[in-house]
Amino acid sequence: MARQLSYAKAILEATDQAMALSTDVFVLGQLVDTKSGIFGTTTGLVDKYGPERVMDFPVSENLMTATAMGAALTGLRPVIAHQRLDFMIYSLDAIANWLALWRFKSNGKSAMPVTIRTIVGKGWGQGPQHSKSLHSWFAHLPGLRVAVPATAYDAKGLLLESIFSETPAIFVEGRGLYSMTDDVPEEPYRVKFGHAAIRRPGKDVTLIAIGNLVPIALRAAATLEKEGIDVEVVDPRTLTPLDRKTLCDSAFKTRRLVVADPAWHSFGASAEIIATVVENLGDKLKSKPVRVTLPDSHTPMSMALEPEFYVDEPDVIAAVRQTLA
Amino acid sequence: MELSHKTLSKSGPYRELSLDNLPADVALSLYRQMLRLRRTEEALLAEYHPAEEMRCPIHFCIGQEAIPAALSQLVKPEDYMFSHHRSHGYYFSKGAPLRELFAEIYGRETGANAGKAGSQDISHSESHFYSGAILAGAVSIAVGAAFGFRYRKTNQIAISGFGEGATDEGAFWEAMNYTGKQKLPILFVIENNRYATFSDQLKRQDTDNIVERVRPFGVRATKIFGNDAALAYRTLQAEIARLRAGDGPALVEAYTYRWNSHVGPEDDGANNYRTAEEMKYWKENCPIVLFDEKLRAARMLDDKAKAAIEAEISAEIAGNFKFAKESPFPKDTDWRRMNYEDASPVADRLLGTAARGQFDQDQAEAKLGPY
Repeated sequence: MARQLSYAKAILEATDQAMALSTDVFVLGQLVDTKSGIFGTTTGLVDKYGPERVMDFPVSENLMTATAMGAALTGLRPVIAHQRLDFMIYSLDAIANWLALWRFKSNGKSAMPVTIRTIVGKGWGQGPQHSKSLHSWFAHLPGLRVAVPATAYDAKGLLLESIFSETPAIFVEGRGLYSMTDDVPEEPYRVKFGHAAIRRPGKDVTLIAIGNLVPIALRAAATLEKEGIDVEVVDPRTLTPLDRKTLCDSAFKTRRLVVADPAWHSFGASAEIIATVVENLGDKLKSKPVRVTLPDSHTPMSMALEPEFYVDEPDVIAAVRQTLA
Repeated sequence: MELSHKTLSKSGPYRELSLDNLPADVALSLYRQMLRLRRTEEALLAEYHPAEEMRCPIHFCIGQEAIPAALSQLVKPEDYMFSHHRSHGYYFSKGAPLRELFAEIYGRETGANAGKAGSQDISHSESHFYSGAILAGAVSIAVGAAFGFRYRKTNQIAISGFGEGATDEGAFWEAMNYTGKQKLPILFVIENNRYATFSDQLKRQDTDNIVERVRPFGVRATKIFGNDAALAYRTLQAEIARLRAGDGPALVEAYTYRWNSHVGPEDDGANNYRTAEEMKYWKENCPIVLFDEKLRAARMLDDKAKAAIEAEISAEIAGNFKFAKESPFPKDTDWRRMNYEDASPVADRLLGTAARGQFDQDQAEAKLGPY
C-alpha cells in the first residue's frame, strides 16, 4: 500500500514542498505561525522557513488578500489561508473588484498568481458564521479558478498546481475531510484544474458529488450496489474550470443524473452542472435530474438540527432511487 | 497658513512658493510637466464629447498637476505606482506612454490595455503603473507591492496615489495599521480635493485631519499646500529618500482642487456642492500660474521659452490623437483566454505527475472539537 496521509497533512506537505521548491512562495494568515497552525496545515513551517516566509497577519482579511495580490505583482507566489470562509468575505472587494479581473483588464500583460486557501466548517455547532459553503460565489466570477478537493491526493496536487500556475486560485477545503487519509505520493506533483475524476465507475446512474459529499456519495453507491444498482460517482475536483465533457459523457452513458453539492440549493454549482448536462443531452435523459443539497437556510447550531440540515448517505440514496423510479 | 478646508479658500493669494535650493533643471522640468499634463487634459476634455469617440468615464485632473509633476521627477522605473480612478496624472508621472493612454480611452487595440480598461482602470505593467476605480482597493494592493520589495530585499518603493475619499473606506485604515507596524517602503500620496464626487470631506469626517489620525499607526505624515509644486517636490523627495533608506511608511497629504466636474466635462455645479468663492481661490492659486510667476521672476522663463514648450506639447498631443484615431479597434473575442492563463511554465518546470490510488470511502469525517 502506498503511503497514507491525511487531507490536513497533505496540505501541509504541499505547502512545505512548494516553499522548498521556490523562495517566491510564502504564507500569510491569521495564526499560521503557531503550533496549531490552521488545524495542522501550517504547523512547523515557520521553524523551517522563518518568520519572513510564514507570517501571521492582522485580522484584516481584505488587506491580507490585497497584500498577497500586490506581492504577486512583484513576482512572488503567495499562499494565504483563512480559518473559516466566513472571514474571507471581508476580502470580497479585493477578490471581486481586483483579483478576478486583473488579467483581463491588463489585457493579459499582468498576472497575480495568488492562492487563497479557505476552510468550510461543519459540525460541533459551527453555526451560521463558521460553516458557509460558498464555492459557487467564486466560481461565478470570471478570472478565478476554484478547487474543491475531496481527497488528500487531490488536496496536495491541486494546491501545488494552484501555487505554481498563473491564474489566481480559490482553494476550498472541507473541514470534515481533514482527518481522511488517502494514498499521497511523496514527491511534489500536480493535479491540473478542469479534470474530473471518475471515483467509481457504474452504468445505471451518474452521481456527481462535490467536496465533502464525495465520500458520502461513494458510500451511498456501495450500499446501492448491494441492491443491484450500479452508480457512477464523478468528482469534478474543480468548479472553474469545470470538466463539462467528463460530466456529460458520464450522464450520456447512464442517462440518469444526481448532483450532490454541500451548499445551498438555489443558484449553486448543482444548478450549473444540471444545466450543463440538460443543455447537452436533455432529451436523452431517462428521468429528471435530481440534486441533493443543503436547504436554502443558514446552518443551525443545535446538535439536534445539524443532522437534519446536512446531507448524509440516506439523502443521496433516496435521490438516486428517485431517478430510477 | 492653516491647511484646512474650513479656512483655506478665504486665505487669499498663496505667496510661499520658493524656488530656493531647487536645481534649475528640476524647476523647469516641474513646470514643463505640469503644463504638459494641463494641456493634455484640456485637449482630451475638449474632444471628449464632440465626436463621442472616447466612451468611458474620464475623471479629469485639471488643477491637480503639481503632485504628478513632482512625482515624475522622483520615481524610478523600477518603482511601482498605484492610482485611483483620477488616473491620468499618475500614469503620466510614472512615465507611461501617453499615446497608449489616448488609444486606450479611444478603445483601440493599441491602447495600454487594448481598450479593455479605459481611463479609470488603465495599467501599464511595463512601467509598473496600475489603477482602478474602487478607491482604497488600489491602496491595499500597493501595500502588497511594498511587502514584495521588502521580501525580496530590493530598494524599490511603492507609491499609492488617491484622494481623501478613499480614507472613508476601512481598507485604507487596514493599510495604515499594517504598514505602520511592518515599516514597509510605501508612500501614500493623498491629493485632498475636498470632495468625494459631490460630498464634502467635512460632511463625511469629523474634521480634515487625516495626517493626525494616521500618525498613531506609525505612519509618518505631512500635510502640504498641494498647488505648490516646489514644496511638493521637496517634500516628496525627502520622504522618498527616507523610504529608500528603509524608513517607511510615509504619507503626504496635498491640499488641491479639481477644476472640473467629478467626471467628464459637464458642469456639475447644479448639485450646489461648492462655492464660487472656493473655485475662485483655487483658480487664482493655480499650480502652473504660481510656478510661472516665480520662474519669470528668477529669469528662468520668458514668453519665448514658454511658447517653445507649448509648441512641443501641442505637437505631442496632436500625435497622440492621430495615433489613437488611426489605430484599429480590438477584434479579439476569445473571452475565456482574456480571463484565464492556460500556460503554466513554472508548474511545468517544477511539478511532475503521480498516479492516483483508490480512495477509501469508509472513513468518518473529522471530529471537530469545540473550536
